[in-house]
Amino acid sequence: MTSPSAPSAPRAAVPVGIVLLVLLPLILMPLSAIFIFAFRGGADDFLRVLTSRDAQFALRFSLLIAFATAAINAVFGTYTAYVLSRYRFRGKQPLGIVVNLPVAIPTVVVGTSLLLLWGPIGLLGRLLAPLGIQPMFAPAGVLLAHLFVTFPYMLGAVKPVLDEIEGTYEEAAYTIGASRWQAFRWVILPALKGGLFSGALLTFAHSLGEFGATVLVSGNLRLRTQTAPLYIFAQFEAGNVAAANAVAAVLATLSFVIFFFLLRYTERRGR
Amino acid sequence: MEGTSSRWRGVLPAVLLAALFVYAAWPWLPFARAERNPPTIVFYGFSILADAFHDGIFPAFQKVWAAEGGGRVEFASSFGGSGTVTNQIVMGVPAQVALLSLESDADRLADAGVIPRDSWKRLPNAGVLNLTPFVILVRPGNPLGIRGFEDLGKPGVRVVHPDPMTSGGANWAVVAEYGSGFRGSPGGPAAGVAVLAGVWKNVVAQAASARAARTQFENGFGDALVTYEQDALFDKSRGRLRADVAYPPRTILSEHTLIVVDRNIRPRERALVDRFVRFLWSEEAQKVFVRFGFRSVRPELDAANPGFGSIADPFRIADFGGWKRARREIVEGVWKDRVMKATPNR
Repeated sequence: MTSPSAPSAPRAAVPVGIVLLVLLPLILMPLSAIFIFAFRGGADDFLRVLTSRDAQFALRFSLLIAFATAAINAVFGTYTAYVLSRYRFRGKQPLGIVVNLPVAIPTVVVGTSLLLLWGPIGLLGRLLAPLGIQPMFAPAGVLLAHLFVTFPYMLGAVKPVLDEIEGTYEEAAYTIGASRWQAFRWVILPALKGGLFSGALLTFAHSLGEFGATVLVSGNLRLRTQTAPLYIFAQFEAGNVAAANAVAAVLATLSFVIFFFLLRYTERRGR
Repeated sequence: MEGTSSRWRGVLPAVLLAALFVYAAWPWLPFARAERNPPTIVFYGFSILADAFHDGIFPAFQKVWAAEGGGRVEFASSFGGSGTVTNQIVMGVPAQVALLSLESDADRLADAGVIPRDSWKRLPNAGVLNLTPFVILVRPGNPLGIRGFEDLGKPGVRVVHPDPMTSGGANWAVVAEYGSGFRGSPGGPAAGVAVLAGVWKNVVAQAASARAARTQFENGFGDALVTYEQDALFDKSRGRLRADVAYPPRTILSEHTLIVVDRNIRPRERALVDRFVRFLWSEEAQKVFVRFGFRSVRPELDAANPGFGSIADPFRIADFGGWKRARREIVEGVWKDRVMKATPNR
C-alpha cells in the first residue's frame, strides 16, 4: 500500500461525515447511552456496583468461560480447518456448511437443543444422571453452549489462510522427511499465526457477549453460573438500570480493547 | 524489517491478556482461597421477590446462622417468572428451595414427579409464605377515575395486562377481576364473567410477565395496569413510581407458595436448608417481607408498613375452591373459553 497522497486528506471530510451521520443513531448514540446511564449515579455508585460480589463473579466467570472457549476452539477450529483444507473426502462440502451453521441458528435454539440432549431429562443427560454427571445448569453447560455458538469464528479466520498457503512448501517439507505434524508445526503454523490470533480474539469477544444460549443452559444462578450478560439482563429486569449499565460499560470497554488489538494486528500484517 | 520496537509491541497485548486471566481466575487460585466453599443454599423465586430476598432475607439469615454457630452460608439465587422458574425446575436446575407465585405451579412440579404431591402443605401455613393484593396502577391523578376492576371495562380505557398463559401474576389478576364481579352486588357468576369480559375487551397489550407488563406501562403505554401491590409499593419507596395506585374495593390477596426440592439437597445440607425454611416464617423474616411491601401471613405485622392501602373486601383463592378448581373453572372455563373466544379481534 502506498502512503496517502496529500490531496486525499481534505476530500475525506465529506464521506467521513456521511459515515458518522449514518453511524450516529445506529451505533454511536446507543453505545454512549451505556456509559451515560452507567455513570448517572456518579463514580462512587459505579464503583460500588462493580465491586459488588455478584458483578465481580459475573465478570470473572464470563472471562474464564471466554478464555476456555477461545483456547478450546482455537485447537478444534484449527484442526477442522486443516482437515477441510488439506484432505479430500466424501461429504466434505456438506461438512463445511454444517460447521458454519452455528452462526445462523438462533442461540435460543442452541440452548434448547443442548438442554434436550444433555439436560437431566434429556436424551444423553438421562444416561449420565445416575453417574452423578450433570453438565447442564453448571459451568460445563455454559462452556458447551459457547463452544457451539462460537465455533465458526475460528474456522472462518483460519481456513482462508490455510487455503492460500502454497502446497509446495509443505511438499518440500515432506521430501526432506518431515512428518505431517512437523510440517504443520514448522511450515503451516507460523503462517497461520495471524489467523489464529484474530480467530481467538473474535471467539473470545463473542463468548463474552453470548446471551441467548447461556440463559437457557446456565439456570442463571447468581454466584454460580451467571455470566456478565445474564447479570446485566437480571439487573434490567429488576429495574436496576445503573447496575446493568455499569457492567455493560465494562464489557463494552473490554470489547473495544480487544478489537483495537485485532485491528492493529491485522493492519500490521496487511502492510 | 521488523525492529525491536515492533517486537515489544506484541508484549503489551500479552501482558494485558495475562493480567485479565489472573484477575478472572483469582478467586479460584489455590493461595487466594482462604475460605473454602462455605455451604450454599440454592434458591429460585418468581420475579418480584428479587430485592426482598437479595437485600433483606439472605443477609438476615446469614446473621442468624452465624449467631447460632453455623458459620458462613452463601446463597445462589435466580429470579424469573413463576412459570419460567417452574419449567426450569422441571428441566433440572439445582433449586433446593423455591417460592412460586401460584400453588398450581407447585402442582405442576408434583405432576412432573419433582416433589411429592402436596408436600408444601406440611410446611407452616400450608406453604404460603407471604401475600400481596392485586391493585390497579393508573396515570398520575387518575384522570379516568378508575376505582375498581369494573371501571376497566369502560369505553376508551386502555389496559395493560400480563398474559395468563405465561405469567403467574396474570392468573391472580384474572381471578381478581372475576371475583370482583362475583362478590359485588348483585354478584354471582354472571357478574364475574361480565367484569372479566369488560376488562379484556380493553386490553391493548399482553406481556409475558408481570414485570414486562409494568415496563410497558412505565414507558407510557396504556391507561391502567393490573399488578401486585408489592410491585407498586416497592417502586414508590424508591421514588420511582410515576403512577397512582387505585385500590379496588374487592380484590384477591395472592398467596405465594414455598416448595422444597428434596432431591437437590445433600444429607449434610439438610439441617441448613430446614433451618432456612423455618426462618422464613419467623417474625424477623416476616418483618423483612413487610418492609419490602409484601403483606405478612401474620396480619399484626402489617402495621409496620404505612404504604398498605385498605381493601373493603379482600378475598382468597380458597373462596373459589383453591387453585385447581379456580384454574379449571375461571382461568380455563371463563377467561380462555368464553372471554377470549368472544373477542375475535385478538
